[in-house]
Amino acid sequence: MLLDVRGLRGGYGGGDVVKDVSFRAEGGEIIFLAGPNGCGKTTLLRLLLGQLPAAGGAVLAEGQDLRTLSPRARANLIAYIPQQHTPIFSYTALEVVLMGRASHFSAFDAPRAADREAAFAALERLGAGYLANRSCLSLSGGQRQMVLIARAVCQSAKIFLMDEPAANLDYANQQLLLDTAAELARWGCCVLMSTHSPEHLFAAGHKVLLMREGRAAAFGPPEEVVTPQSLEAVYGVEMDVASIRDRYGAARTVCLPVRRPKD
Amino acid sequence: MQPNYRQEERAAGRRYAAVLLILLSALLGAALLSFWLGYYPLAPGEVVRALLSRLGWRGEVAPQAVTIFWKVRLPRILSAVLIGASLSAAGAAYQSMFRNPLVSPDILGVSAGAGLGASLAILNGLPGWAIQAAAFAGGLAAVAVSYLVSRRTSHSQTLTLVLTGSVVTALCNAGVTMVKYVSDPNDVLQQITFWLMGSLQRVDMASLGRSFWPMAAGLAVLFALRWRINLLTLEDEEARSLGVDTVRCRRVLILASTLLSAAAVCLGGLIGWVGLMIPHMARALVGADCRRLIPASTLLGAVYLLLMDDAARSMTSLELPLGVVTSVVGAPFFILLILRKGGR
Repeated sequence: MLLDVRGLRGGYGGGDVVKDVSFRAEGGEIIFLAGPNGCGKTTLLRLLLGQLPAAGGAVLAEGQDLRTLSPRARANLIAYIPQQHTPIFSYTALEVVLMGRASHFSAFDAPRAADREAAFAALERLGAGYLANRSCLSLSGGQRQMVLIARAVCQSAKIFLMDEPAANLDYANQQLLLDTAAELARWGCCVLMSTHSPEHLFAAGHKVLLMREGRAAAFGPPEEVVTPQSLEAVYGVEMDVASIRDRYGAARTVCLPVRRPKD
Repeated sequence: MQPNYRQEERAAGRRYAAVLLILLSALLGAALLSFWLGYYPLAPGEVVRALLSRLGWRGEVAPQAVTIFWKVRLPRILSAVLIGASLSAAGAAYQSMFRNPLVSPDILGVSAGAGLGASLAILNGLPGWAIQAAAFAGGLAAVAVSYLVSRRTSHSQTLTLVLTGSVVTALCNAGVTMVKYVSDPNDVLQQITFWLMGSLQRVDMASLGRSFWPMAAGLAVLFALRWRINLLTLEDEEARSLGVDTVRCRRVLILASTLLSAAAVCLGGLIGWVGLMIPHMARALVGADCRRLIPASTLLGAVYLLLMDDAARSMTSLELPLGVVTSVVGAPFFILLILRKGGR
């Protein structure tokens, strides 16, 4: 079991935002975190990262309680890909990716040739080697996201936490992101990402954690969890979940918001 | 055959090595020029002979040249080099860790605190070494207050530090004004004003020796940690997820930078613009990566302040205050830089 979350609770001092969440994830799985604004998705990610102290429950990564791990040991297990990375200075993509190695040596040490090779390899694995010498200030949103994912790969963590990674991306880049997540899963990593697009749940998710008011409303494969009833219960909007065949004959599932005709 | 981008990355490494080599030669050249400038010019040959004479060499060299070399030019040149290097290294570290390219090393009040310490010491008629010690202590105390106050809030630490720093700076400046107000305008006030302008006229081997150790310690820490500084240019949450203890890392860097700035200010007075301007120039030369930026800043700052001090003492028959020269040169240059690079 790569990630085991048991009865996790926590918040910002004024009461728990995440009230009771339990789920398990294996390597090779993509888990989507879905739910309306304010349901605790970001708070859950921050609890998993150890940025917020848990008020109760436990998070076990590879069987180790996260609270007992040092920041460095935690970084070797869990990588975080923020929604946006706002560079101030003109670092090259390679320099940003190299920052992922920080947990692999002591504070007074600096990256060596092997670390630089790992940074190049991470970019190349994602097909983004050509970005290596480009300034991060000049990259598009989608390219920046690729660089951040490469940094997480370079960190050689097994669990990837992404906070709405698709939020600022255009349609083509969202597809690229989902493909990249699937690639990470094929390499045996566990990807946990929050999203606001119900499409994503079926397109790439192995499991879906549907959240509502700080609790896990449902957890399981999208076919079981994502139904018109559950979507309406969580989002308060009428939705259809329809199965169709695309032009190449593959079975696809789409979610559509619907509206009762007025008459 | 390696892909293009790998070759380019190698080329950037070679370019960095070339920049360092050029800066080192420029430093040597500027030092020889500084020995030569002055009412008693020391040619490079004499410089070498004067240097060797102290090390047991018995050759022909004018005793005057030996005295000027050891008593006048050498302490002054070494001071300019060390102050320029210290302020520029501290400036580069601060700009990166405060995630703000417009920050200078005195952002946490080190210069104002040093000014207050020095003014109080001058007002009480203390000797030179005590003025230096008081300035050093004042600088450290001001930063300590800024830091400790900033720890008591729950807001973003870097933002709070900038705010508490400006409050402490304002308080210390008010204190300096008060000291000036009560001091004798014919004697003490002149001394204080002169101290605050910044000059290397009064440095000697003894005062240089006192500032040397904190500078060496500060530089050693910044050089050892320089790659880590990059991680503080990220959002705190992002840096922590990479396994960095941001609070501890910042504390160590602030301590090292404060040692550098306080030692520089207590030796040469208030010399502005160096710590703000040089990191920008260095960044344009070698990029944002602090692993390269800190060494390049250090060398460039040393060369720059040495040349500025040469200008201060030889442009006119009367020596100009160094702090005034760096401001007159620095401000327009900086505006040019902002206009050309779009403020980056």
